[in-house]
Amino acid sequence: MEVNPNSRPHLDLIPLGNLDPLAVSIMGAHLQAVLGLRTQIHPVRSNPEYAFMAMRNQFDASKIIKALATETDGAPFKLGVLQSDLSIPILTYVYGESQLGGKAAVVSLHRLFDIDRQLVYQRAAKIGVHEVGHLLGLEHCWQAGCLMRFSKQLEQLDRLALDFCDACRYEIVRRLKAIS
Amino acid sequence: MVRMMKVLVVDDEETICVALDAWLSKEGYHVETACSGMDALALLSQKIFDLYLVDIKMPGMDGLDLLARIRELQADATIIMITAHGSIQTAVEAMKRGAADYLCKPFDPETLSMLMERVAATKALRDENVALRGQLMERQEALLDDFVAQSEAMHTILAQIEEVAPSNVPVLISGETGVGKDLVARAIHMRSEHAYGPFVAINCGAQTETLLESELFGHERGAFTGAVKAQRGCLEMANKGTLFLDEVGEISPRMQVSLLRALEEKRITRIGGSQPIEAHFRLISATHRDLRQLMRENQFREDFYYRINVFAIHVPALRERREDIPVLADFFLEKYARETGKPIEGITQKGIGLLMSYPWPGNVRELRNVMERAVVLSRGRMIGAEELCFLQGGGEVCDLGILTLREAEIRYIKAALDTHGGNITKAARQLGIDRVTLARKMKRYHIEKE
Repeated sequence: MEVNPNSRPHLDLIPLGNLDPLAVSIMGAHLQAVLGLRTQIHPVRSNPEYAFMAMRNQFDASKIIKALATETDGAPFKLGVLQSDLSIPILTYVYGESQLGGKAAVVSLHRLFDIDRQLVYQRAAKIGVHEVGHLLGLEHCWQAGCLMRFSKQLEQLDRLALDFCDACRYEIVRRLKAIS
Repeated sequence: MVRMMKVLVVDDEETICVALDAWLSKEGYHVETACSGMDALALLSQKIFDLYLVDIKMPGMDGLDLLARIRELQADATIIMITAHGSIQTAVEAMKRGAADYLCKPFDPETLSMLMERVAATKALRDENVALRGQLMERQEALLDDFVAQSEAMHTILAQIEEVAPSNVPVLISGETGVGKDLVARAIHMRSEHAYGPFVAINCGAQTETLLESELFGHERGAFTGAVKAQRGCLEMANKGTLFLDEVGEISPRMQVSLLRALEEKRITRIGGSQPIEAHFRLISATHRDLRQLMRENQFREDFYYRINVFAIHVPALRERREDIPVLADFFLEKYARETGKPIEGITQKGIGLLMSYPWPGNVRELRNVMERAVVLSRGRMIGAEELCFLQGGGEVCDLGILTLREAEIRYIKAALDTHGGNITKAARQLGIDRVTLARKMKRYHIEKE
């Protein structure tokens, strides 16, 4: 999808804590290329200690999302990225979490590790685009191969293309038009 | 299927409700939440859900109490208990009380996803099962609608069917050919506890003894020449259902011994096989022959007779219950008029008179065929003496069940020519063909016009 770089950004991509900057750049590039969202990468912020759950040694994704959603300046959508492990109180872990049809999402690179860095970047891009798909109001899709399909395991995520099925793509275009 | 599942999350911790709501909503489920057992019951009084995710530890009404209350209100509810690691014992207790599964907090997202998929698949199967059972019930009702009866004799038979169906006893149905013995057998099956099982019918008079043995008991591969693959027999296929042995009087004494053993042991062995196979079924037999007479002639074994004849139903011949003739005729008339799309409204008094005076040697099957023929031949809104004139004198009746197409055509053509005094044009019009075609057929069948 075409993006005009001079227009106001749609999405702020916010690195939280110490993480591979290349992963963030690649994620940003894919958000622009696949979704057509004007994406602005922000300077690195500190780890969101307010969301740290010491007992589980994880960050509470719901608290991070809540905090990002309260930020009124900048782009209408916020996507936080961190290296540390993420979860929500009811689940043992999440790769990412977002508000369905909301404003903020967060993804973690922690569980995407592989000795093949290219694969890690690809996984990060897929998770990032998937979570932003939820921000645009898309639910999980049951179409095989669609990026909005829920991946139970990394192997399933790896099998997905970095693209959407026709129905999801139609919805994305429709919803992007509505917010433009 | 999954997308339409309605889920109720009951947990006193708001964060859990919010998190599950968000997570399941993304999966496409319709989620509602309640923060106490009482709130859940209030919601349940307005609507039902496909799945309940219930926390065990809640202040006031706990998860186990709520589980019992949900089960009272919705017996087929799927309930999954949510528990902390310390209370797994309680979760196991909940499963003994009817919960489908339990999840330990915090859940593994993969486990939750698989569990939800499993519940959705089970629900889809259950819904399909309910739909199929509904269709079966409709068929059952339709089958009983086919019991068109005015006479006391047939009402007695209906009462006997109701009486014997729920039990598992063998039934012997006797009566002349064409009285509807198979209809009685099917009605018993449909009203029995085996209604959801198979109804396997076999005509024992239509095959040789060797073939019948193979049909009944099945055979293993290579059991005899031509047995290129193993085949299940009727007794095996009727397991957990009903086996209907039509024309049981035609079974040879040797075969009766084999059948008797199978009935008593409730297991069979395929021809050429050595492994016994379970065969639990309800046996219904039918015959048009006098089995007692056959016993006297040593053609029917006494022990087999008493084994199959625990409850006897005799279906009287149509001529013995003439009051059924008009209602049966109306029933078939409506059926065939609907099938052929003809606007026939009924039968004239003269037509009824002809039907009532005819002896009906072929019974209800013959009446059915006569009405089918009359509907085909009819050009008006009423079936009258003209369409039924071939019944006069108790003679020529086309029982299509036993005639070849050639014979049936000859009889129809002759009847139409008789009706119109040999006028080919009129006869052709009545038969629904042009006069050239009729003339060609008359020539082919050597039919002279009188």
